[in-house]
Amino acid sequence: MTTVEKLKKILVEDLNLQELSPGDIDENAPLFGEGLGLDSLDAVELIVIIQKRFGIEIQNLDEGKAAFQSVHTLASYIEGRLSGG
Amino acid sequence: MSGTARIVLEGIGVVGGFGCGIADLSRALAEGNDRPGTLSLSTGSGPIEFPAFRADTSRLKEFVPARTLRRIDHFSKLALLGSHLALADAGLAETEHERLGLIIASGYGATGITYAFLKSFINDGDICASPTYFANSVHNSAAAHISIVLGARGPSLTVSQFDLSVPSALTSVRQWLLEGRVDRVLFGAVEELSELIGYAWYRQRGAPRMPMTPLWTGKETAIPAEGAAFFLFSRTEEARAGYCTLETAVTGSPANAGFPLPGDGLLLLGADGRRETGRRYAVLAENARIACYTPLYGSMPAGPAFDLASAALIIKEGRIFPSPGDASLDFPATIPAGGEPAGADRISCLTLAGDKAYGLTTLGKLPGTTGECARED
Repeated sequence: MTTVEKLKKILVEDLNLQELSPGDIDENAPLFGEGLGLDSLDAVELIVIIQKRFGIEIQNLDEGKAAFQSVHTLASYIEGRLSGG
Repeated sequence: MSGTARIVLEGIGVVGGFGCGIADLSRALAEGNDRPGTLSLSTGSGPIEFPAFRADTSRLKEFVPARTLRRIDHFSKLALLGSHLALADAGLAETEHERLGLIIASGYGATGITYAFLKSFINDGDICASPTYFANSVHNSAAAHISIVLGARGPSLTVSQFDLSVPSALTSVRQWLLEGRVDRVLFGAVEELSELIGYAWYRQRGAPRMPMTPLWTGKETAIPAEGAAFFLFSRTEEARAGYCTLETAVTGSPANAGFPLPGDGLLLLGADGRRETGRRYAVLAENARIACYTPLYGSMPAGPAFDLASAALIIKEGRIFPSPGDASLDFPATIPAGGEPAGADRISCLTLAGDKAYGLTTLGKLPGTTGECARED
């Protein structure tokens, strides 16, 4: 399973997006506001989920802001951190 | 309060083991349907299953979009469903709720989500504890969810006093309305039968057995339950459609203050098959005219709210429902047969807690009604 696929599954299951299936999520759509429609509490939850599932702690707010643009940017960020970037 | 002002019960919303909505409760009362579902648990000695009254919140999607519900736990869903049903029953679902107060009573609170939060804290550490679980574990969270969804801007309060949560909260309902602090109060009692509560019940009391016979007070026959019962109260000096009036709500200790039992009115007992309070009900209700409907909704700290809903239905319909298991009575009292006229203008609901404390809530017939209340809808 690719990181993008994993992330879509995690978003649906852990954020309880009952009306969506992972296949419904456009990996380039914005996570917040228009697009997936997540909010600030989801952002906090997502930080915790990424630490729990991938062992990655997001401490730099600017880095986090860039990573949280879409599923695609988040997957790239995770892959970069996992490969030591 | 002036001489003519009264507190009127305008709408009721209930969900429990008997079904969903006041029509389902009325049907269960008339038919004496006391069949619980089951609760399945994993224990150290393997899986177990025993009778329990479970509540289904699937009708909530009629009132609230699925997206709004995604972060809301079972306890708050029960509360949300009860509150929407009560407003719909009063014909006020679409009304502005600017001066609506909200009071919730619960003996245990949101145990499912609270322990899920603690589990995430223990398993993943404080850094990775779920913020959503934490938000839902805060004691007033169900009231907050209801206020947000309804757009209610009045004060909100959650009262937890175990078995006396309902009568204690009702004293605040009266106070808020008498002070004119709000125009209406949405009051509800909620209990969730989480895996934790089920397990604690099993460890303390063993697996319950059918049937529940609370009037056989020397015997343990309680069956655990969950559900929500909500009520819309308003203060008015005019004629207003509704079920009945809220006459009094008191809590106290009979040993210290005497016991204000109603004269010839019906006394609705909150006896729920637990042996520790059963004998006290028998002593206090000796020779009274009684009814008891707990076998229809089970044993839970929120149970007195279902007694209240049952009493309101008796007043509205002008007839008494049969008490399930009325043949199993081990103390002298009169149990009216099903269909018998309600008789007096008042019904009192008695709740006992611990060794000494009691709660007594009295409902009365709306002035100008002959038993069945006129409803606008």
